[in-house]
Amino acid sequence: MSVIRNIAIDEWRYWRRSRIAISVLLTGLVLLVGSAFLTAIQMIDASHEREHLQTEAENAFLNQPERHPHRMVHYGHYAFRTPPPLSVIDPGIDAYTGNSIFLEGHRQNSAMFADRQASAGIAMFGALSPALLLQILAPLLLILMGYSAITREREARTLDQMIAQGVTSVQIMLGKGLALGGVTALLVLPLCIASVLAASEGEAVSLIAFFISGYALYLLTWCAAIVLSSTIMRTAGGSLGALLAVWVIVAMLMPRVSSTVATNIVDAPGKIETDFAVIEAVSKIGDGHNAGDPAFTALRANLLQQYNVDSVEELPINFRGVVAGAAEAELTDTLNQFAEERMRVESKQVRIARYFGWLSPVLSIREFSMKLAGVDLETHHRFLRETEKLRFDFVQSLNKAHAEKMTYLDDAGRSGDPEAEKRTRISTENWKVLEAFSFEPFPATDRVEASFNPLAKIMLWLIAILLLCRTIGRRAL
Amino acid sequence: MTATAVFSRELRFFLKQPFAIWLIIVATGLSTFSVWSGLTEVDRQSATIERLLVADAKDRAAAIEKESDFGGAAYYSFHLTFDPPSALSFAALGERDVFPWKHRIRMLALEGQIYESDAANAELAQSGQFDFAFFLSVLTPLFLIILLHDQRASEKVAGRHDLLVATAGYGQNLWRSRTIVRVSLLGVGLFLPFLVGALMSGVDTQLIALVFLVVFAQILFWTFLCLWASARPFSGPAIASGLLAFWVLTTFVMPAASDAIVERAIPAPEGGDIILAQREKVNDAWDLRKEATMEPFVAQHPEWADDAKIERPFEWKWYYAFQQVGDQAVAAMSNDRRVAVSRRNEMAGWFAFLSPSALTQRSLSHLANTDVGSALTYQHRVRNFHAELRSFYYPLLFKNAAYRAEAFESLPEYDPAMGSDR
Repeated sequence: MSVIRNIAIDEWRYWRRSRIAISVLLTGLVLLVGSAFLTAIQMIDASHEREHLQTEAENAFLNQPERHPHRMVHYGHYAFRTPPPLSVIDPGIDAYTGNSIFLEGHRQNSAMFADRQASAGIAMFGALSPALLLQILAPLLLILMGYSAITREREARTLDQMIAQGVTSVQIMLGKGLALGGVTALLVLPLCIASVLAASEGEAVSLIAFFISGYALYLLTWCAAIVLSSTIMRTAGGSLGALLAVWVIVAMLMPRVSSTVATNIVDAPGKIETDFAVIEAVSKIGDGHNAGDPAFTALRANLLQQYNVDSVEELPINFRGVVAGAAEAELTDTLNQFAEERMRVESKQVRIARYFGWLSPVLSIREFSMKLAGVDLETHHRFLRETEKLRFDFVQSLNKAHAEKMTYLDDAGRSGDPEAEKRTRISTENWKVLEAFSFEPFPATDRVEASFNPLAKIMLWLIAILLLCRTIGRRAL
Repeated sequence: MTATAVFSRELRFFLKQPFAIWLIIVATGLSTFSVWSGLTEVDRQSATIERLLVADAKDRAAAIEKESDFGGAAYYSFHLTFDPPSALSFAALGERDVFPWKHRIRMLALEGQIYESDAANAELAQSGQFDFAFFLSVLTPLFLIILLHDQRASEKVAGRHDLLVATAGYGQNLWRSRTIVRVSLLGVGLFLPFLVGALMSGVDTQLIALVFLVVFAQILFWTFLCLWASARPFSGPAIASGLLAFWVLTTFVMPAASDAIVERAIPAPEGGDIILAQREKVNDAWDLRKEATMEPFVAQHPEWADDAKIERPFEWKWYYAFQQVGDQAVAAMSNDRRVAVSRRNEMAGWFAFLSPSALTQRSLSHLANTDVGSALTYQHRVRNFHAELRSFYYPLLFKNAAYRAEAFESLPEYDPAMGSDR
């Protein structure tokens, strides 16, 4: 054991004397700490801003004056997606999806105001979050520090000496790996500090620990690959070349190739295009504003029979409100079918892109990270579904008030009779049907479960590389 | 040795190096893939627009047919607006996966409609597309670094350095011809696929020449940088590390840092604020006296002063007037936001001079009309078109024109090239 430790300590000593190694490590750490700091500020600001807007929107709704409930259906409401605690490390797709949505009767709007749409659009890899740095730049940093770990000993002929002294090849590889593992620990440290913030914002500590372990495992996979390369390549140049080639392929190429392939395999028609089909389907449902629409004949007959009366005027409830509710329910059913279909297609695209995780640990760690942090596409879909539920609930509660809190005659005659119009304005108490909204990502256990798959891909890579070290690596030394 | 002899020796030498050949084959392959991926994406966008145009015309005709007054027709008829991909956009898909390039709008308050975005899959947009611009700006420098960093160091290691220098006449000549052979083969390998794609999509010769200049400048910059670095007295790997560090800082860190700086330097009004304010204004109108709507409306449109009297509880002209007043109420905020985005873009243009990769990327997407500026131009066209719709309907509504279907023959049509020099 002490042999392994000594080899690792020697490597550290070498790094301390090497200007390149020191500057690479320092640059990396400065970048990580800086980005952790900036991302945290930005996401916490965004979080407060959106919480504030949410409260403001709720107050605006509650403070509306007395009026006809259907006016409130059209007045509508806003929902904002507050970023989850771990977004201080991985903001995920937050900047690429709209973070607010307008909820109103008869329509499902799309989310608006993706931050990227107001950005200067110069960053080619998105904002420098700690997650991005650890996923893409940290491996490069490890490569630059470790590519010559063993080739250097070989070129200086010290390797033979070590072996002559009885040090085994496994011990050499483990020692070099341990040295790189130390660098990994240093790189993960800023992540731990930023995580404290996430914990204080209410994220489960065990989930955070799992999150950090995932990153550590990912970086250790790279360490193993670096040791392997510097073992089997004859020269430092060869080792660096091979490692860089791998890095370019898995970190630069694969992410873009995966998304290009996914868009080409699964065609996702945009919202405007599917809206034509929606209009077509919806036109078969009656217009909820028009109680005389023939689409509601059966509903009318049923109600008359149920209450045993002859005309809608005699009903104890306002038929127009009943129609509004029934039409909204049917419409929402149709709209949801289309919305679910769109989400299904998007998920299918993303699933195809994620298959590339078998080829690139960078894609796997990204999936792992976004899933755990709750900033992936599925979480955005959850947001869309929850806001839709919020929309449907308040619209239907207002429609219920429309049916129960006024008479049919007043409602039908209100545009000609100011007195009737006054009676159709219901009290502001009724606006309290609006539920407070605060978006939460999936529960911690679900997120952990979902992240097993990408983690397994990384583990597989680690095991494969370790096996290669045992076989080819031992022979090469 | 004569210059041609040196060149032909270098060419033969090069062809015997499997590594370098593979590198160029891979580069050509990636360039081809990037061009193919761009072409299919542009095809998809064009096909989408074709389909939308047909469906849009049909839907609008059906909507208008059902109505019996101009107000209702304006309410139910949507109009497709779009920004068609330019011939060159296959090479730089640019911001089109983030900024909307199609909207369907109607006569209601525009501020409530223009922020809807029919965006692509967010998780895929985060990765970005593999287009020629990405290949040229991000990957090409890496190829050059691998190809050129250890020319001298590797010959020294191989023990041929002195022999080569001695037989080539004088030293500089040799490295120059060796570099020219390697770099021009790489250049041809990556430019040819682009050229084929450009000819297939009918890009102007002039534009092709401009793209060639960008490719040339990018390759030249990195070549000189690599040459300068490889003449330093360090080992091959040390030179490569240094070059790579420069690449990381300029391609990765600088652009992202510039983005963050630009966003803090130039604040933009929150989109949410604009739309909340607009909605309050539009909804309030229902509870206010009619004059409260018509006065600010007439202030902007004095030509309708004599027809602005609203006598019934609901009149279409009042309805559309309060839609416009809603737009007017947030016009300043909305304008500020556009100005801010435009200024951010401009400032980012200056920052791009610190990053050859960002500069290459921006130049290409500028030439291809897929940059932020083009997205803003498109938004401007949508606004103009919406204004045209208003000037078509207002006379019909305010003069209480009798309904006749023939009036729609002069309904404005969206022209995607409106006010452009393209």
